[in-house]
Amino acid sequence: MADLYKALAQIHAIRGQVARGTEFRGYGAETVAATGVLAGAAALLQSIWLKRPDEHLTAYLGIWIATAALAALLTGLQTINRTRRVHSGLARQMILSAAESFLPAILAGALVTLALARAAPQALWTLPGLWQIFYGLGIFASCRFMPRQMLAVGVWFLATGALCLSAGKGAGALSPWEMGFPFGIGQLLIALVLKFGFREADDDA
Amino acid sequence: MRSRKPTRPGLAYDALDSVIHERARLSVLTSLVTHPKGLGFAELKAMCALTDGNLSRHLQVLKAARLIEITKDTDRHRPLTFCRMTAAGRKRYLEYLAVLEQLIREVVAGEKTDPNGETAQLPA
Repeated sequence: MADLYKALAQIHAIRGQVARGTEFRGYGAETVAATGVLAGAAALLQSIWLKRPDEHLTAYLGIWIATAALAALLTGLQTINRTRRVHSGLARQMILSAAESFLPAILAGALVTLALARAAPQALWTLPGLWQIFYGLGIFASCRFMPRQMLAVGVWFLATGALCLSAGKGAGALSPWEMGFPFGIGQLLIALVLKFGFREADDDA
Repeated sequence: MRSRKPTRPGLAYDALDSVIHERARLSVLTSLVTHPKGLGFAELKAMCALTDGNLSRHLQVLKAARLIEITKDTDRHRPLTFCRMTAAGRKRYLEYLAVLEQLIREVVAGEKTDPNGETAQLPA
């Protein structure tokens, strides 16, 4: 019996190692592009509905947290379906590996949001910049199983995040385009990389 | 394939890919699948503890089955043989692992429900 369990453990280890060396093709370009459009739509909604976001922080957070949750739900469902199809033999390991890389940065962003909202609401104007930086870090962490061009998208989010932090304070704080522009363009860039960046066809895993 | 008849019904050893299910070839493929960029002949020989002749023979079998591709080049006038798994080989290897895992799980389940019964022998 012990030998059988050892064999199962070895199969699991081999799969894990193969998954770590495999490009992840579970993210779908079309869905990611749709989340970019969603970011633009949320920015438009904020510009119409929320003229003074600094005076309605709860509504501001509500718009963007709901947008992020919807985007995460769409991407998550699509990623699970696509990974099962594309990486049939490795689906579970690939999804876990992708989540381990990307989610810590997102979780850190969520915790910082919670901390600022509870302890330092006067610093909430930094959130758009911080969210972009955390998102960029998540992209960097995922780059090891993504096309090389994805590094440029990580740089985009770091740059826009830094710009928001350096210029976002004051009258224009929490402007809808601080979120809509970086995430709208950034998600479209990710979609382009996913569409054209992989070297081989989708049938190798 | 050195498969034996299962002593339990339902254990389909025939589903195991006979080209892959040979100790040396399994070793070669496991080395290659965990090195997606490929391996040189000397590295592969050391990793699998095979002789030159044995490794060459198994590589030819794997190449004929289109599981691997072999490229030959020279490095400072020395011949260099490089092996890499093909996309089809990778897919077949993962399918083989899935069948093998299912088979082992069935044997484990059988052992748990019938610890004194006759044990199904796994193929060597």
